[in-house]
Amino acid sequence: MSTSDQELRDRRLVFYKNDLGRIDRVLQELLRLSNASSVLLVDKEGHMITRAGKEPSFDLDTISALVAGSFSATREMARLLGEQQFSALFHQGERDNIQLSLVGDRTILTVIFDDSTTLGMVRLYCTEAVRKLESVFADMMRGRREGNGAEGRAEMAELDRLKSSARDTLDALFDGN
Amino acid sequence: MVQINFARKEINCKIVYYGPGLSGKTTSLEVVHQRTPQGHKGDLTSISTDGDRTLFFDFMPLDLGTIAGMKVKFHLYTVPGQVYYNSTRKLVLLGADGIIFVADSTPGRMDDNQQSMDNLRENIAEMQRDVNKIPLVIQWNKRDLPSPLPIEELEARLNPNKVPTFETSAKTGEGVFQALKAISALVLEDINSSNGKQVGGIASAKKPVAAATPSIRPAADAAPPPNVGTMPDRDVAKVLRPAGTAGRGVSKPAAAAAAAGTAVGATATITAPPPAPMAVMAVTPPIAPREEARPALRAAMNDSKAALKNEFRQAAAAPRRAADALKEPQPTPPAPAAGSGLKMFLFMALGIVAGAAAAVVAAKFLLGF
Repeated sequence: MSTSDQELRDRRLVFYKNDLGRIDRVLQELLRLSNASSVLLVDKEGHMITRAGKEPSFDLDTISALVAGSFSATREMARLLGEQQFSALFHQGERDNIQLSLVGDRTILTVIFDDSTTLGMVRLYCTEAVRKLESVFADMMRGRREGNGAEGRAEMAELDRLKSSARDTLDALFDGN
Repeated sequence: MVQINFARKEINCKIVYYGPGLSGKTTSLEVVHQRTPQGHKGDLTSISTDGDRTLFFDFMPLDLGTIAGMKVKFHLYTVPGQVYYNSTRKLVLLGADGIIFVADSTPGRMDDNQQSMDNLRENIAEMQRDVNKIPLVIQWNKRDLPSPLPIEELEARLNPNKVPTFETSAKTGEGVFQALKAISALVLEDINSSNGKQVGGIASAKKPVAAATPSIRPAADAAPPPNVGTMPDRDVAKVLRPAGTAGRGVSKPAAAAAAAGTAVGATATITAPPPAPMAVMAVTPPIAPREEARPALRAAMNDSKAALKNEFRQAAAAPRRAADALKEPQPTPPAPAAGSGLKMFLFMALGIVAGAAAAVVAAKFLLGF
């Protein structure tokens, strides 16, 4: 892995409205075609990026963290087999199942489905969705590299207020404990 | 790594409690979970052994609320402390935005603390991240013990960089929130910075300590310690609360730890002003044409065009027949083949003449005239 690749990996993930719009369209299509109940896109640090499908009964933050944990835990297994990592995982339950697919190098497509569809259908459309998402991410990165990220300047400028605004919020939440 | 999601108006960060086994990491997280107001916390999830030892991690989402129009969420993790769980520890540490090191103040555990701090440094370095750029605070835990390790000794061995430290007792909950508040402030501040800024950081604990290590002071004389070594250009205490209000609103003896902690926090090593962050979706980069290759490509294309023009000029200067041939409404041959088109025409004309002659000879022979 080259140094520049590593630098890119180390950089934070930033998503703008346009990016999410394109990603959401892919997820909606996957949901419709595969007849899954819920689709989540999660980064490898366990933070959810976006989701589609019916409102889940579980805590999204927790499931995202566990999905990322599950994926990273199997990496060691993959290495023992001489693989760099597994690109897909499947957890089968009595009623609900989870299919996880690696997208690019930093995000995980999580599809939750029940017996109203089949694993084969889900896998088939997941493969297609992964290909489309990778293309979206490649476009996003190319756009940022070529300096077309004007859309984000205003938003980024807003982040400058984080430091000053954080004090009161942190005081309110943490003081008195 | 921080995830900034402008579409969902969310900022997601990852904080990891690190430290030797049984130092109080999970207990600290339990305190945070118990005392965080409803609506700001999710479930505390533990992947632990039957004996309640952390096997993979403990996890708790913490919703800080809306700051600057963005909903800020922290994901709090603990790592398994036992030495032999290092591969699991590395997985949890991956992508951490801030670290709370929980050191055990029990007499006789100094070497374990040291080993864990060294291990943290090694693991961070192995991930090819700069150990000095990751926000870090330290909890000197189990200060409620009858005769805990002296703060001066802990500081000297574990905190050469003078990152913010807090005397805590996870058992009673004292100081735990102050440490979390300090790391929250550092992480939020770090979001504004690009990759080049130092915030807190983990220096080699083995390097000699240049100056006297400031100890945690009781609240009564909690004055900021003198600047030591690389003095920061911003003060953690200022981020946390206005000067002179240290300990405000902190109940009972926790105020002592809070005041002392923020005072020591002032010695965090911070340099460089925060430049604007890079907005990059970092997935595996596609193979794109190298920028430096483009001018060379253009030059080659220009050369090719010039060569074509030359050929056309030569063709125009040739006999009229050749020029006419080029003007024929036949499909225009590819430009580089302009010269060969002319030759082809000559061959065809020759062929027609030869064919006509052969036909005449054949007719003569067959018809006998």
